[in-house]
Amino acid sequence: MEVLVELEQVSKSYEEKTAVRNLTLKIEAGSMFGLLGPNGAGKTSTIRMIVGITLPDSGKVTLFNKPWTASALQRVGYLPEERGLYKKMKILDQLVFLGELHGLGASEAGRRAKTWCERLQIGETLQKRTEELSKGMQQKIQFISTLLHDPELIIMDEPFSGLDPVNTILLQDTLLELRKQGNAILFSTHRMDQVEKLCDSICLINRGEAVLSGGMREVKSRYERNHVIIHYEGEDGFLSHPAIAESKNYAGHAEIRLKPHADAQDLLRTAAATSTITKFELVEPSLEEIFIETVGGHADA
Amino acid sequence: MLKNTLLIAKREYVERVRSKVFRITTALVPIGMAGMAYLGSMGTHRIEQGLDQVAIVSNSPELAQQVEAALLSSQHPPRGVEVYAPATPADVARANHEVETHQISGYLKLMDVSGGIPQEATWVSGSSTDFVGQAVMANAVTNGLVRQELLAHGISDEQVQALTRHVNIETMQVKNGQAVTGNAGRSFAGAYALILVLYGAVLIYGINIARSVVEEKTSRIFEVLLSTASADDLMLGKLLGVGATGLTQMAIWAGLLVVAAGSQIAAAHGIHGLESLGITRPELIFFGVFFLLGFFLYSALAAALGSTVSGEQEVQQFSFILISPLVISVFMLPYVLGNPSSTTSVVLSLLPPFTPIIMYMRICAQMPPYWQVLLAVALLGASVLGMVWLAARIYRVGVLMYGKRATVPEMLRWLRYS
Repeated sequence: MEVLVELEQVSKSYEEKTAVRNLTLKIEAGSMFGLLGPNGAGKTSTIRMIVGITLPDSGKVTLFNKPWTASALQRVGYLPEERGLYKKMKILDQLVFLGELHGLGASEAGRRAKTWCERLQIGETLQKRTEELSKGMQQKIQFISTLLHDPELIIMDEPFSGLDPVNTILLQDTLLELRKQGNAILFSTHRMDQVEKLCDSICLINRGEAVLSGGMREVKSRYERNHVIIHYEGEDGFLSHPAIAESKNYAGHAEIRLKPHADAQDLLRTAAATSTITKFELVEPSLEEIFIETVGGHADA
Repeated sequence: MLKNTLLIAKREYVERVRSKVFRITTALVPIGMAGMAYLGSMGTHRIEQGLDQVAIVSNSPELAQQVEAALLSSQHPPRGVEVYAPATPADVARANHEVETHQISGYLKLMDVSGGIPQEATWVSGSSTDFVGQAVMANAVTNGLVRQELLAHGISDEQVQALTRHVNIETMQVKNGQAVTGNAGRSFAGAYALILVLYGAVLIYGINIARSVVEEKTSRIFEVLLSTASADDLMLGKLLGVGATGLTQMAIWAGLLVVAAGSQIAAAHGIHGLESLGITRPELIFFGVFFLLGFFLYSALAAALGSTVSGEQEVQQFSFILISPLVISVFMLPYVLGNPSSTTSVVLSLLPPFTPIIMYMRICAQMPPYWQVLLAVALLGASVLGMVWLAARIYRVGVLMYGKRATVPEMLRWLRYS
């Protein structure tokens, strides 16, 4: 796989604090990369260095297999965390302007703007001004402005924040389609469920440092499947099994956390001996749990 | 990249020219100027028409008679003069009543005349600040006293008339080494009008560009822009776009002025084309040069200041800093017109923030040596480039700061950062 973005030992400090420390990451073509972390962890600082708004103090940023240059940004679509459009400008003019800045011809940019707006069900907004639109619509327009020039690399800072569930799914599906077409997507979020659903690989940063990174499967497999859900009929005596660290018992439904390296199969045999088991599931930890476990009590997200 | 600069300039231009504000100011300013010209001409009118009916109240019939004669033979005599002399308190009360009921514009009170000299000379009128009346009366009283003295010394009435007649002073101006007939008033008015336009345009568009920077900053759209275009592209594009808007508006106004100056109505007032307003072709060319350079300098300064603030309201706070050199220039106008070659005028005209107005004023008053004009233009041009560079640096870094307004040490640090 072609590597589109590579950060090597990148650090960035501001006046009072270190925003990013020795961060290394790699994003491959056709993949969805999640940059996770609590608020203030350094996600936006990292993204800004990739798009050249700030320069790293040390370390190396490589875009499309070449050292960072401004001209490479023509192939990048960037959606900043804080959203902005020209308030008084018509949406179509605005999209054409931003498309032209990214090297499209005016007529081509206009054509694509129309196609995209229809695709995201906001075709009627093209002749309106930004100030007449709702927040969610404005966010969609910005989403489109990021994608108009069909960038190979799409970078979005908190793309779903503030969207309603329907639109969140619409935009998620759009991103998934773009990935299928071979575009690489990097997005930052503090919402674990989104990352879990969408991403191929992740990097979890906390206080400017990568605390966890790699492919989604690989990251998860590093954490034990120590959660068990049992649906049963009959005695609940098996809940005193020595492998259980903690359990919650609802009527016929027990949620269990096992002790480290405990034998789940032995628990199943014990339970089956006294009760009728209708369901026995070993659950892998959710990313959210991993996040909380890794970041600890410091996360304020 | 030139392409980005032009794209940004195009956007600024198109959005501005399309806006309501542009249409409204384009229409309102000429209306306002015409109104001001009309009001101004009313003042002149008042002087030329002279005063309405006036009265003289005095205890000396001799002096009253001479002042009356002086008034009636002045350049702009009042419509009629009533004389109450020797005056009784009832006469004063009547004069007061007549002023109140607008039967007379006012009365001149010359009391306690001893040895021909009045101890009290008062111009009583319906207005608290009637400078025109006061000036006319001061002249008349001085003139009347002279007449009285001359007569007392046995000079004949005709000789007195001849000695105290009004002399009309012609004005001429040295242009290109020759004294040519000029009209000081008109030349001053023409130059003054151009200066007001320059001042107004710099003020409007300078603030405008600051607002536009602040808008991009508060809406955070600059972050998208900066991810494709450099801060220099953005700043230069913005200046060119807003500058082109300003020029478009000026061109419309200039067109209107040329049409108006050549029109029938103007001809009826003795104005035939721009030349008779005292505006010459070289002055127009210099106007263009100084307008452009001045505009860019102040706009770049406004953009730099705009980059350091975090909200619309703060633009108001620094607008004073922005216009203070312009205000100083305008205050210096009478001095520079009178002393176009003094050291102060020369130095001021070479300092870039003052150059556009002061040097232009000097050119209107008396063509300075060429080296001074060239040096001023060169210095101004260089400081425009310097200011654009500085503004781009501050914009580049300043826009990434959030919330609070930057302090001066912070700004210096930003310059080093980028």
